[in-house]
Amino acid sequence: MSRRLFHRFHRVAVFLFILFIVVPFIPLLLWSVSAGWRWPHVLPESFSLRAWTYLFSPSSGLWESMGVSLQVAIVVTLINLLIAVPAANALARYRFWGKRGVEALMYAPLVVPPYVAIMGLHLTFIRWNVTETVAGVVLAHLVPTLPYMLRPLVISYRTLGFQWEDQARMLGASAWARFRHVVLPHLLPGIAAGVGLSLLVSLSEYLLTLLIGGGLIRTFPLLLFPFLNGGDPAIGAALSLVFAGMTAGLLITTEWLLRRCYGDSHRTQPF
Amino acid sequence: MWQRSKPYLLIAPATGAMLLLFVGGLWEGVLQSLGYRPLVGQSRLTLQFYETLLSSADFWRSLGLTLRVSILSTLAGGVLGLMISVCLVMLAGAGPFKHSRFWRHVFQLPLLIPHFVAAYLAVVMMIQTGWIPRLMFALGFLDQPADFPVLVQDRFGWGIVLTYAWKEAPFIAWMLYPVLYRTQEKWWEVARVFGSGRWAYFREILLPLLLPAWMTASFIVFAFTFSAFEVPYLLGVTYPQMLPVWSFEMYTGGDLTKRPAALAVNVLLAGMAVFFGWLAHRTGRRFGLLEGGRWE
Repeated sequence: MSRRLFHRFHRVAVFLFILFIVVPFIPLLLWSVSAGWRWPHVLPESFSLRAWTYLFSPSSGLWESMGVSLQVAIVVTLINLLIAVPAANALARYRFWGKRGVEALMYAPLVVPPYVAIMGLHLTFIRWNVTETVAGVVLAHLVPTLPYMLRPLVISYRTLGFQWEDQARMLGASAWARFRHVVLPHLLPGIAAGVGLSLLVSLSEYLLTLLIGGGLIRTFPLLLFPFLNGGDPAIGAALSLVFAGMTAGLLITTEWLLRRCYGDSHRTQPF
Repeated sequence: MWQRSKPYLLIAPATGAMLLLFVGGLWEGVLQSLGYRPLVGQSRLTLQFYETLLSSADFWRSLGLTLRVSILSTLAGGVLGLMISVCLVMLAGAGPFKHSRFWRHVFQLPLLIPHFVAAYLAVVMMIQTGWIPRLMFALGFLDQPADFPVLVQDRFGWGIVLTYAWKEAPFIAWMLYPVLYRTQEKWWEVARVFGSGRWAYFREILLPLLLPAWMTASFIVFAFTFSAFEVPYLLGVTYPQMLPVWSFEMYTGGDLTKRPAALAVNVLLAGMAVFFGWLAHRTGRRFGLLEGGRWE
């Protein structure tokens, strides 16, 4: 194959893959602004902002569900951060008996689906009086999110030896000062990645919220689901777009914060 | 003493949470699947729910469908993901896609949206009156909606497979990207000096470097598609159902006597997930795939 032909082939391949990714969003956009769209029209016959005005009106429940979703996701992520930072420290920098077992336990929810555990806990949650409460949903969300918080933090801790902290100790820094000024700046990329992933996983969670929240804790996915399952397609499409925009905004903000902290050369990996 | 117990203190909160919520939940699930219900005075353990399950044709059909869908999804996602990762590396270089950060974000799109939105995209695109049939009609390939194959809510599970392929291919690509990114232009030049063609370079140099990450990513996708609930719930048919959906319907169906059977399905599902994980780990170790490629 000649070099030029090969490069043309490359371009076509990249273009096709971009199409493959982007094209499904086009009918979604069109549905969200359509007023009537019968077979076999490729474009809607008439357009209206009905779905969007409905969504942003108080009766749609969009703002409440977004509030509940964010409340759950933020509390889950804060708890994860508090328990994962010390755990990542131990897993990355210490040798101790039982380490392999702890590692297996922490990453197990990536292999064994979390709803298996949460369905088993359902009766216990009823006994604890946490079903149909935000607290119960937060507890349930900890299971699928913790591994995603832990993993980037472990990677960050691995590249931090003990020497810097020893040096700071010799200079008279207290334990808190050592953590604040030596460890924390080093961990920031890991924290940003972990926080982003934890928020993303919690915001996207449907089944656990339904099982423990009993339909009363209406997070964003719970609001959206009935529309996907045969409801008004215009509203379903608009809600899906709001969701995609929210998560994309989250990721872009995280990346922007990282770039501001570390300059353009710093690359973050999703894992 | 402090030095020896310090790591245990550090891991205690996270381990405690996981022991309570995850291991505790699994344990209670196993007990309930064995018919342990102290609230109604039933505290004898029995294997009857497993026996009924394993001797019912429904279970085996569900398992067959679940395996078929997850294997096909993993294969499709794996192959497409490999191709997309190569595209991503090209986007990082020069060429027609110079504003590469924007285009790289485009490839991240499927990672950002939850699975149920991806399932909805599949519906909008591929039902018999969806956008693809409409485009095909406009181009004259189709006379009426019924001529388009049933790809959503079909008995084979094509809709689920296609959704997973679209959603997981970029995930696999992002797992492979760091590996490909480390390969250098120089290597290709050296390979050419030794008379290697493009295909030989790909087969002898790139593929062995990519395999470990590719195996890991594919396994994560397989484990996920094997046990995930949302996409088959939205895109599946009422019979046969994939195992997670079947278990959910039995659990929430209102008939409390079916709950032990639902939990038994869960336990079997979890057991198989662990078995596949162990198998992947063992196979990986035997072929030296898990140590990571040799870079020097």
